[in-house]
Amino acid sequence: MNHFLELEGVDYQLWLSPCKQGYRLHLGDEVTAPIDFCHQGNGRGILTIAGAREPVRFAIDGDTIHLHIRGRTSVLRYRDPLSALALAEKHAGHLVARAPMPGVVVATSVLPGEAVAARTALMVIESMKLETVIRSSQDGVVERVHFKEGESFEQDAVLVTLSAEGH
Amino acid sequence: MRKLPFDTVLIANRGEIAIRIVKTLRELELRSAIVYHDVDAGTPAVSMADVAVPISGRTPVAAYLDAAQIIAAAHEVNAGAVHPGYGFLSENAGFARKVLEAGIVFIGPTPENIELMGDKIRARKFVQRNGFPVAPSAIEEDDPATFISRARSIGAPLLVKPSAGGGGKGMRIARGLDALEHAIVQARSEAQRYFADARLYVERYVEKPRHIEVQVLGDSFGNVIHLFERECSVQRRFQKVIEEAPSPALSAELRKKICETAVDIARAANYRNAGTVEFIFDGSEFYFLEMNTRLQVEHPVTEMITGIDLVAEQVNVAGGHELRLSQPDIVLAGHAIEARVYAEAPARGFAPTTGKILVLDYPVGPDVRIDSGILQGQQITTAFDSMLAKVIVHSPTRTEAALKAERAMQELVLLGCETNTNFLARVLADEQFLSGQVHTGYLDENPHLAAGEFGSDLSAFLAAAALLTRPVRDSADAVPELHASLGSWRN
Repeated sequence: MNHFLELEGVDYQLWLSPCKQGYRLHLGDEVTAPIDFCHQGNGRGILTIAGAREPVRFAIDGDTIHLHIRGRTSVLRYRDPLSALALAEKHAGHLVARAPMPGVVVATSVLPGEAVAARTALMVIESMKLETVIRSSQDGVVERVHFKEGESFEQDAVLVTLSAEGH
Repeated sequence: MRKLPFDTVLIANRGEIAIRIVKTLRELELRSAIVYHDVDAGTPAVSMADVAVPISGRTPVAAYLDAAQIIAAAHEVNAGAVHPGYGFLSENAGFARKVLEAGIVFIGPTPENIELMGDKIRARKFVQRNGFPVAPSAIEEDDPATFISRARSIGAPLLVKPSAGGGGKGMRIARGLDALEHAIVQARSEAQRYFADARLYVERYVEKPRHIEVQVLGDSFGNVIHLFERECSVQRRFQKVIEEAPSPALSAELRKKICETAVDIARAANYRNAGTVEFIFDGSEFYFLEMNTRLQVEHPVTEMITGIDLVAEQVNVAGGHELRLSQPDIVLAGHAIEARVYAEAPARGFAPTTGKILVLDYPVGPDVRIDSGILQGQQITTAFDSMLAKVIVHSPTRTEAALKAERAMQELVLLGCETNTNFLARVLADEQFLSGQVHTGYLDENPHLAAGEFGSDLSAFLAAAALLTRPVRDSADAVPELHASLGSWRN
């Protein structure tokens, strides 16, 4: 079956197949040379690609895989295809303004029930001493403001939910 | 060290700078005390100090800004001196004065020095009056009614700055005059909130400016020396990312001129202890920007090229002694580069990141110095500044230093909280950086450095992640080899 790994905002659809030397990675229409991973304990291992050995440092935290390979650090997220679908369903008919970064709410400028036009300021947030205005992406009605002034939130948190009904 | 009027020093700070100060205090055989908010309990700074006193506040930052609690803590542990580090209360003249009134030595400049230089407007007027160069500007409080028209008459591009600011906070560029009023509104709002002082000034924004600063040291006997310059032009959002010493932009002649100007400014201000005079350099002329009346984040590059421990010199001067060094003792050797490791995502506009540090391994090697206050297992939050560590290297030449710093960035393993190390390695290997042709807009003009294409590394990352993800591997292991060899029929 196909799996999804997200890396820096891009979803890669892939799957593994077994082969004599380990596995092959199927990425879209491409198939890699044989790959394998040998654990060495303590978050260390050796990735083999077409016979070449790459030392890997890793840490796994739930669905998140932190990797350090070839002097480069990256975070990948495993996305369960079913839960990804469920999430899309839940937000059908709603618009959500999400936090581009973790921070604190400085001010909210709309109330539930209020009709807003595209580009209306919904909230002012502050992160690392920099103010950012969160604006509505399109016309809609404010359903819920999820955070009060002074409250803090993580990246990707839903800040304001809008209903697009009537538009 | 000559005899000091104190044997215990309270550090009114946290994280890497607190540790850095503890290390010198140990060498000087002084007792170190630290204050800490609950969120910092168990951090290396708190465990390294000889004695630690808890403080509280509405927020963690508020605790470290609470002068009364800090002075009470100093009394509690019989500290005869307070070192403020950088940030927090380090440039607060009121705090310095309260410390002195409590009969405690303040390891830093006099309250008068801080008052003069901490207010940017007062500082630039002082510097201008003394005949040193400053950039064309309009100061709001000179005549608020004509502020905007005076600002306009300087001509675009303009830089709007809070009078009481620092660290790039609240600063806005107006590229054209039509953007000026909006920039003023935004800068004023931020200035009011961060510094509780909405006063602004506007100055000519020098295009492609280089940020060059000179480290000075003064004592109570009127002696002032410099420890050469640092260049801090690699910045994002007005915050320094990579610093180096010496500056690749200065000729020997200009170096002498800028360093002597800094000494003259400090001497005119009757400056005591460690300070930094910042200049904007346009390639031929330099203008006074501001003076920082504290130890700087990037002070280690100066220590690397001079071999002088700045904190030890601060303690000596604060202890009432004359400077132990005279100008000819200060010799510049080699080249040092500092890279700041931030919890941030360069590809997402340098947005701060959070997470628990799951793996932490620092590079080691000769002439590689790590100043860090974090620990494996620590949760990184947005409660404080996003700087996690500084990696400083020293080499005979700039090219070698850049290579050593790049390697150090690649060898640093920090997993669990996204950081800017990949980005720093790219900058350190970038041709423009290597040629020394940088200015404060360099990163903005080179967005590819922040974006970071994966190229041939992509398949390695995806392969490793796929093999390390149980559901992906399990579904492969469930497929008989024969079926798999038929190719992608399962699609």
